[in-house]
Amino acid sequence: MNPILRVEHVSKQFGAHKALDDVSLEIPRGCVYGLLGPNGAGKTTLIRIINRITAPDSGAVWFDGHPLAPEDVVRIGYLPEERGLYKDMKVGEQAIYFARLKGLSRREAVSRLRWWFKRLNIEGWWNKRVSELSKGMAQKVQFVVTVLHQPELLIFDEPFSGFDPVNANLLKGEMLALRDQGSTIIFSTHNMASVEEVCDHITLINRSRNILTGRLEDIRREHGSNVYEVRFVGDSEQLQQRLSDVAATINLTAGEGDTTLRFRLHSDVALRGVVNLINESVDIRSLSEVIPSMNEIFINKVSEG
Amino acid sequence: MSKVGLIVSREWNERVRKKSFIVTTLLTPLLMVGMIALVAWLTSRGASGVKNIVVIDHSGFVVEKLENHPKIVYHPASEDMDAEALKRNRQDDTWGVLIVGANILQNSSDVELYSFESSTIEVESIVANDIERIVEERKLDAYEIADVHRILDEIETEIQIRAFTIDEEGAQSSTSSILSYAVSYVFGFLMYMFVLIYGSQVMMGVIEEKNNKVLEVMVSSVRPMELMMGKIFGVAAVAVTQFSLWVIIAVGLGKVALDMFVPDDVMASAASISADPVAMAQTTSEMTRVLSVITTPGYVLSLVGGFLVFFVGGYLLYAAMFAAVGSAVDNASDSAQFQNVVTIPIIVALVVMFGAMSDPDGALAVWFSMIPFTSPIVMMARLPYGVPFWEVALSIVLLYATFVVMVWLAGKIYRVGILMHGKKPTFKELYKWMTYKY
Repeated sequence: MNPILRVEHVSKQFGAHKALDDVSLEIPRGCVYGLLGPNGAGKTTLIRIINRITAPDSGAVWFDGHPLAPEDVVRIGYLPEERGLYKDMKVGEQAIYFARLKGLSRREAVSRLRWWFKRLNIEGWWNKRVSELSKGMAQKVQFVVTVLHQPELLIFDEPFSGFDPVNANLLKGEMLALRDQGSTIIFSTHNMASVEEVCDHITLINRSRNILTGRLEDIRREHGSNVYEVRFVGDSEQLQQRLSDVAATINLTAGEGDTTLRFRLHSDVALRGVVNLINESVDIRSLSEVIPSMNEIFINKVSEG
Repeated sequence: MSKVGLIVSREWNERVRKKSFIVTTLLTPLLMVGMIALVAWLTSRGASGVKNIVVIDHSGFVVEKLENHPKIVYHPASEDMDAEALKRNRQDDTWGVLIVGANILQNSSDVELYSFESSTIEVESIVANDIERIVEERKLDAYEIADVHRILDEIETEIQIRAFTIDEEGAQSSTSSILSYAVSYVFGFLMYMFVLIYGSQVMMGVIEEKNNKVLEVMVSSVRPMELMMGKIFGVAAVAVTQFSLWVIIAVGLGKVALDMFVPDDVMASAASISADPVAMAQTTSEMTRVLSVITTPGYVLSLVGGFLVFFVGGYLLYAAMFAAVGSAVDNASDSAQFQNVVTIPIIVALVVMFGAMSDPDGALAVWFSMIPFTSPIVMMARLPYGVPFWEVALSIVLLYATFVVMVWLAGKIYRVGILMHGKKPTFKELYKWMTYKY
């Protein structure tokens, strides 16, 4: 199956500032794609290029197998980080306006809106002005506006900021439901915990370049730097002694009735032999590889660059 | 509906439904009529306030010949009245004291007027005129010419010019200069106000959208150019709506006023001559001429039509510039330096307009009615006097062509500006924005 979006060698310069430098990535259909990077790395520029708000200086963007064209914007939904609605307009009217700009008929827009408003329990807001809503309430409206025209590609930029945990969870559920119905989602955030929770693929952009891209699971495994954790009952001094030739101790924590040792294997040592070593000195309760969190990978990669 | 159409209809709906729009649209004509009525009322009231002037006449011949006016009544001072006492102690309803010197015949400045309230040029000139007339008569009498007063009456003449304008076909039409002057003033000024008010509404609208961050959402659905044109046309639709309502109200109020205040026979004669230029030119009453012209539908329609064509062109040109300015800044207070670039030509146009009103075919007026940035206002001031067709056509073509170029340039600034936040750009940066590839 061809990817919904392919970005090929895209560069973009603003005056002396290079916002994007030869960035390529491929977004498979039906996944949640994390677009990560520190502030000012070029994420927003890339998102604007995908939305056709601005054009790349060089490189190409392919959408559903053809070069991205103006007509494609109705197949894309964009929730910008800086939310914006007309303050003096009524909620219902405003949502209809945005839906019609995305090519929906008034009737279609109204019936879909009713469905969404009911689903999110905000039916009472139809005739309220946006200026009467709280920030979180306005964000809910904005979410509905973004997804109303049932786009195949959704771009959410920090979608959960400004929400209380209950509503953030509600929105997360809606986002995953949209993915399950076949939409592809580009998810840009600084919250690495939510990346681990929802993303299938990620791309990490730092200083205008794509420095890391792939399946989330693969990336985490690849960045597993030979760190293991063993929980055992027995003499910890003896165990450390035994392991001193093959591994470096990271830390040792005593629990109730057992002890946990975290260690990093030297690069040329096979785990199999080490298991025997441990087994000879203590009673193993569990042994597992420690996979780094997305947070650690992010910080490592960004500070390396 | 097209995207631009959707944006236009949103702009129109939002603005026309605002209370402020309804209030200004209805109140402005009422306020104008109210002001005129107030001035008329105060003027008529002022007439009842009679100024009593006590006259101490040392010449011996002036006071008996002073004739009273509706507003000024002269009272000869009795023999025993002392000038100093009169000046110090104000009598109940005395406005002032006039002292005519004994040497008034030889020394024309031998007159003093003391007033208890502030004096006005009007009163002083009436009093001076009265005394002048009496002194001149006295001097004339000294020559002892027989029948001199009858001769003077006979030679007195008042000239009334019958003005015709010869158009290209050589046909003559009679005009009313007073009316042309008034109409040219009103329309030129109206144009100035409309372009400035609605142009800056476009600017404020863009700044508001920028602050709302709603633009980021919008530009993912529509192209910036469509957005800008939608806003410009939307506000234009509001302006045309307001202007049309004002015309309807003005025509309505005008008709009521004509029915109420102008006698039927004057109206009838005005109507009868309006179809016939020769008859109109022969009419000596300016009032009748004015009435006959403003009740001619063709005249009113051609002016309103001209106004709309030039207003729309001028507005579009300036609105495009205002939109670019609005996109470049984050708030209205930052816009001052860019706004100057936009408003200075409008103010120049207004200044030239006043010149054009007194010399509508002079070089200044003709040139500035061709330059697109000033032509809407200056041409509007010339139109009531009659302008050759080719000049009007050329001016319109230039105006609309410049608008197209300006929109193209403004669009280039707009598409960059609406997504820029933070620092205020310089003119150099605006130029750089125009060169960005999008």
